[in-house]
Amino acid sequence: MLSAFVRAFRTPDLRRKLLFTIAIMSIFRVGSFLPTPGVSYPNVQICIDETAGNNDLLGLVNLFSGGALLQLSVFALGIMPYITASIIVQLLRVVIPRFEALHKEGQSGTAKLTQYTRYLTIALAILQSTTVITIARTGQLFSGCSVDVIPNDNVQTILLMVLTMTAGTGLIMWLGELISERGVGNGMSLLIFTSIAASFPTALWSIAGGDNGPTKFTVVLVIVVLVIGLVVFVEQSQRRIPVQYAKRMVGRKMYGGSSTYIPIKINMAGVIPIIFASSLLSVPQLLAQFGDQTSDWVIWLQVNLVDPSAPLHLVLYVVLIIFFCYFYTAITFNPDEVADNMKKYGGFIPGIRAGRPTAEYLSFVISRITAPGSVYLALVALIPTIAFILLDISQNIPFGGASILIVVGVGLETVKQIESQLQQRHYEGFLR
Amino acid sequence: MDALRISLQLLLVITSGLLIPLVLLHKGKGGGLSDMFGGGVSSSIGSSGVAERNLNRLTIMIAVTWAIVIVLLGLIQRVTN
Repeated sequence: MLSAFVRAFRTPDLRRKLLFTIAIMSIFRVGSFLPTPGVSYPNVQICIDETAGNNDLLGLVNLFSGGALLQLSVFALGIMPYITASIIVQLLRVVIPRFEALHKEGQSGTAKLTQYTRYLTIALAILQSTTVITIARTGQLFSGCSVDVIPNDNVQTILLMVLTMTAGTGLIMWLGELISERGVGNGMSLLIFTSIAASFPTALWSIAGGDNGPTKFTVVLVIVVLVIGLVVFVEQSQRRIPVQYAKRMVGRKMYGGSSTYIPIKINMAGVIPIIFASSLLSVPQLLAQFGDQTSDWVIWLQVNLVDPSAPLHLVLYVVLIIFFCYFYTAITFNPDEVADNMKKYGGFIPGIRAGRPTAEYLSFVISRITAPGSVYLALVALIPTIAFILLDISQNIPFGGASILIVVGVGLETVKQIESQLQQRHYEGFLR
Repeated sequence: MDALRISLQLLLVITSGLLIPLVLLHKGKGGGLSDMFGGGVSSSIGSSGVAERNLNRLTIMIAVTWAIVIVLLGLIQRVTN
């Protein structure tokens, strides 16, 4: 393992890529601490200290920005607008026929879709930065804080802040693309990885300190390690459906005749169902903010839906995750399309006719394998929460299932890419 | 001090306004969501032409200026308070 790491650094080409990636990641981290002009940095620090622990509203968003959001830095929005934009574009494929046509077009179509995503990112960045600055200005971001975060709130200052944050989001997008282009791994997911991983030490520290004893700290560490092991195991597992290609002559050349397989992962949807479910579950919280704090329905919402340890909240969370698992798998893997492509190139699954029966078989296998996959995802998302509730540690749960899944998923993906680069030079890689 | 601050703010508006379109001018290499969380390995062999290289240079220049202006504005706020 370690020797492979050394070898990765001995290869000049790979070393350049790795160093480039690390450099971009550190630029991203440094930017997360650069306060936006107009924000009073000392006041923000005071507010964060005063209101520590009761910021559930922006939990996931703040996690994705690596704590930059609460700092109101230039990179406050982080990668979130890009994620939202890609989710929207992906979902719009179902609604808008043109998007679907572009997606089917292949590489040039995908490039166009990416371009749309980029424009949408900027639009969303303007929207979200305005929202963030507004709630910071009215004091909702740090409810109950004694000092003003934005001391001088005239129109020019606010506009300048919105513009700066939007430009920051654009810059993050470019940094991510630079990593994808010249570094190792997918830039966007590596940037998310950076921000989540950066929040781990502080979270560990806050659990170790305070009134939790060393026993609880050890238990938490054991749970985290166990969950990571489980996640790695399940993420690597896949069902391989054998595919046989018929031999055929095109001109003077012989094509096909090989047997391969379609890898079907247990959890095809990745972390996306968790992201969708948690963003949907934050809606009641928003609704409760608008209502009268003493009216019956607001209290009902607070007790049953907003509180992350309420039974109804947990049940809804699980149901939503399972639903989105199926939904997202259906969007990303189209059995009809795969069956059609296989038929075109003379491939077939042994024992099953080409065409419609193949598509039916594929969709049967997928819906069956997604069942344990979705349950696994819901479990991983819940295990840390339940464990932390049982252990009675403060409600701020940094090691939620989503963050562990993202970190492990991105880590595995990146290591695989490094390994494939190493193998090009006949070296043994990390995973054996 | 005020004149310096206002001119820096003006510079910030200009650089921010330039940075956004410059980033959008780049060819998107993101690849979307399925790529982001565990998709296939997409090897994009990007051969950046002269235009792309100049664009990169320009973007880096503007981005660095933008960052310096923000740092300076932060320092001014520190000093005046």
